[in-house]
Amino acid sequence: MPHSAAPSWRHRTWSVSEIVVASTLAVAAGVIFWGWNLSYHAVSTLFLAYPPAASLVAGMWLFPAVLGALIIRKPGAAVYCEMVAAAVSAILGSQWGLGVLLSGFLQGMGAELVLLVFIYRRYSVDVAVLAGAAAGVAGGINENWIASYYQYDAAGTWVHIAGFTLSGAIIAGVLPWMAVRGLAAAGVLGPLRSRRAHTEGLFRAGGPRK
Amino acid sequence: MSAGDQQTLTRGVQLSAAAFTYQHPGRPHPAISGLDLDVAPGERVLLAGASGSGKSTLLHAVAGVLHDEDAACGGSLLLDGRSPDATRGRAGLVQQEPESQVMLSRVGDDVAFSCENLAVPPEEIPARVSQALKAVGLGALRDDHPTAHLSGGQKQRLALAGVLAMRPGLLLLDEPTAHLDPQGRLQVREAVLNVCRATGATLIVVEHQLQTWVEHVDTLLVVEPGGGLRHCVPAQEIHQDEKLRAALIAAGLWVPGHDPVAQLPAWRPSPPNHSQPLLSAAGLDVHRRRPKKHRLGAVAPRPALSGVDIRLRESSATGITGPNGAGKSTLLLTLAGLLEPHGGILTAATVLKSDPSGGLGDSPHLWRAADLSSRIGTVFQEPEHQFVRSTVAGELRLSAQAARRPGTAEPLFTDGEVTARVDTLLTRLGIAHLSEVNPFTLSGGEKRRLSLGTALAAGPQLLMLDEPTFGQDAHTFAELIGLLREHLTSGGSIVAVTHDQALLRALHAEEFAVTAADPEESAPSEPARPRGMGPLLSSAHNASWLGRRNPVGKLAALLLITAALIATIDAVSAAVVTAACFALLPAAGIRLGTFLRRIWIFAAASAAAVWGAALAAEESGSVLMNLGVTTVSTGSLELGLALGARAFAIVLPSVLVFSTTDPTDLADALAQQLRLPARFVLGALAALRLLGLLAQHWTTLGHARRARGLRRQFLSQSFGLLVQAIRMATRLAVAMESRGFGAGERTWARAASFSGADALVLIGGAAIAAAATGTAFAAGTWNLVWT
Repeated sequence: MPHSAAPSWRHRTWSVSEIVVASTLAVAAGVIFWGWNLSYHAVSTLFLAYPPAASLVAGMWLFPAVLGALIIRKPGAAVYCEMVAAAVSAILGSQWGLGVLLSGFLQGMGAELVLLVFIYRRYSVDVAVLAGAAAGVAGGINENWIASYYQYDAAGTWVHIAGFTLSGAIIAGVLPWMAVRGLAAAGVLGPLRSRRAHTEGLFRAGGPRK
Repeated sequence: MSAGDQQTLTRGVQLSAAAFTYQHPGRPHPAISGLDLDVAPGERVLLAGASGSGKSTLLHAVAGVLHDEDAACGGSLLLDGRSPDATRGRAGLVQQEPESQVMLSRVGDDVAFSCENLAVPPEEIPARVSQALKAVGLGALRDDHPTAHLSGGQKQRLALAGVLAMRPGLLLLDEPTAHLDPQGRLQVREAVLNVCRATGATLIVVEHQLQTWVEHVDTLLVVEPGGGLRHCVPAQEIHQDEKLRAALIAAGLWVPGHDPVAQLPAWRPSPPNHSQPLLSAAGLDVHRRRPKKHRLGAVAPRPALSGVDIRLRESSATGITGPNGAGKSTLLLTLAGLLEPHGGILTAATVLKSDPSGGLGDSPHLWRAADLSSRIGTVFQEPEHQFVRSTVAGELRLSAQAARRPGTAEPLFTDGEVTARVDTLLTRLGIAHLSEVNPFTLSGGEKRRLSLGTALAAGPQLLMLDEPTFGQDAHTFAELIGLLREHLTSGGSIVAVTHDQALLRALHAEEFAVTAADPEESAPSEPARPRGMGPLLSSAHNASWLGRRNPVGKLAALLLITAALIATIDAVSAAVVTAACFALLPAAGIRLGTFLRRIWIFAAASAAAVWGAALAAEESGSVLMNLGVTTVSTGSLELGLALGARAFAIVLPSVLVFSTTDPTDLADALAQQLRLPARFVLGALAALRLLGLLAQHWTTLGHARRARGLRRQFLSQSFGLLVQAIRMATRLAVAMESRGFGAGERTWARAASFSGADALVLIGGAAIAAAATGTAFAAGTWNLVWT
């Protein structure tokens, strides 16, 4: 009987397929960012009219964190996916140079903290929305106060952070949650803990084993 | 026998299974149940069975890569009396898809990977690598040859070399030639047989096309769906034993001496109603990329194929044949109206346009997606590229609903007609019982038929097919022929890119042979990176001074400079960094023009930063522009200029460093010198290699949506990309694990070193950071950001 009792370390460390899937998702996110850049100019219009409001689409840059966490369902997935996605951006040439690594780390941490609060046992839509929003808050704090790419007046700063948060909740919260359900229904998550995500309820706790 | 051969000689593994059972988590039935099996050391076995009979699962179990927490398994499976988990490196697996078996970007590294994972001493690795490459007939390649430049057949042989370098006693091959053209197929088979002869390793190969292997193996094993062994006979019995042949034919296998076309009902194409071709091309030039509105100085890409003359008639089929990489698929997509022609004339006949309003242009490329899909349908090589709905019936319904009357928003079919079309097609395709199933979960043959159905549902007269029979079993082949003949009989026309002579015969297709325009074009090149995907990392080794430096040293220098820039918002420190970067261009071997082309887009981004601050920062100084709700003041404009300069300066050193750093070197240094976990670093590195491939999937997903009659759909395209990414990653993970990756200590074939020159890079970075800060202090502009 070769594989009857899985050694207990497998429950904590990541398997090879989890590492490779998480890494590939981050690389795919890089391609999606690029497709987005080519296709949509809504950002520039928003930016011209009232620059701080451009953060309403910034959630786009946060989705790898929540997507990775919902698919892998292990500690560190949000930070890892967001960091690798940031590294891919840096390699492809990011507007913020190496600064994207800092953004990636902080945004990933934002999402990671929410999952930690739910001790990595809940992956429902409410948790996804909170994680996306937290990634947005972290991104807003970084861009206004830590890396300080923007120096808006008080109103502008708050609009920027609020927009980032809202955008994170939707683009990096609801959408990844829907995507994971779709992927599970498509049967491609076979070797992963999220393989039955499509059968879970909206708000039901999704423990790591089911 | 030479000394080299002696070294590769290994004892073949003895494999035994007793009542072995395995059930994937969440599946209702076991993939394998109660399997009893004995394979002697050095025996060569051809493993056959109907699609979905658990053959791949069995190979994965033997390779020791199945260890899902929630799987149910029982019985025993032993290699030389030990469990597969405990015999890492004794069995090596080669899978069917070439792309997901290459892990690293240089040939030598890719072969060395398995040795490193088995902790082979580094001084022993180079000899193992060159022996393995020689054994598979790739000995002529240099160690730093880019893996992306290999053909599919070469990639499969490279995978075999990677397995061979472990000195395994058991070779497991899962349809290793299914994705290859006839020439690549023979090369891979020869390499496998040579290796078996030279090493004495046991061989188990899974294949649908039995004739490829049956003459070269000892034993034929046939497994039954979800069950155990049905036949275990000497391979030569396949020529004599009629009952065995009948069983194999019934399982959908391609049996030597049995022609599935001859078994089909007699059929003749009917004469066309019109003599005029439906679609004709004269002097057509085709290329993957969209012809650009050329900026000055830009050179037009050379067409993949040029001067193509072709006429597609009613009730007839045309087969586009030729070597891989000759531009066949590009021609097909251009004829299908999905790619814009680069030259020549493409004309759709009035019959095909069937547009009383006369609004449709001559070239299908000019048509709306909703007009295209009801006239020309395209079926892609990978059916999953075309799926956009969550049920089979939903997919067919969507195609019928998306079709429009030319130039209007009116649906082509009424609701009743849509329902009738869907119901008829479900029955014709033989998938009526699956109408509510998720398309992605269908079997390979069912997916293939559904993808054909999604094209047929919109009622096109012209059908474009890309390798429709690739990797299909004989049952699916026969069903496809039936459907395609019906289409021809009803006055339709078919164009298929194919290597399959049986398909051409079955449809009485006229052959249109494409020859490679020139050897360079025919060489399978790296997946073309779509425009705008500015690759800072080149797969070619950068030989400049900076290119040869240790990546960790460069990264640390970059970090210092970036930190100095982030700490302050002032134009002076930004100017110092910018000047330093331009001064360093010669050391990085980058020409000024190349550098400017890479960074101009970032200059535009910093202009946006200037505007942002000018408009929305705190008002100070005098007001320059009053926009009512907000103002632009001297203070905010000054702040904006400083922010813009900083944003621009942050990009430059990072472009410089990443343009001169090879990802493999970076990963080596991160894992060896910074001690980051090797599993994660190498996992990310292997995934990064998929970037170009995923970008290609993205483009194809876009074409597939237009072919379905849909306009651009960002979300559905993103979802499709994620599906392909996870599928690829899952196969890649299996390939990596089967080469010993992921458990235990590993060695490194190439030690990362840190020399005096590397220290100089670090010192240089610190000096630039200090100079920027110092100058800003001296000028009185230094302005700490966190105050």
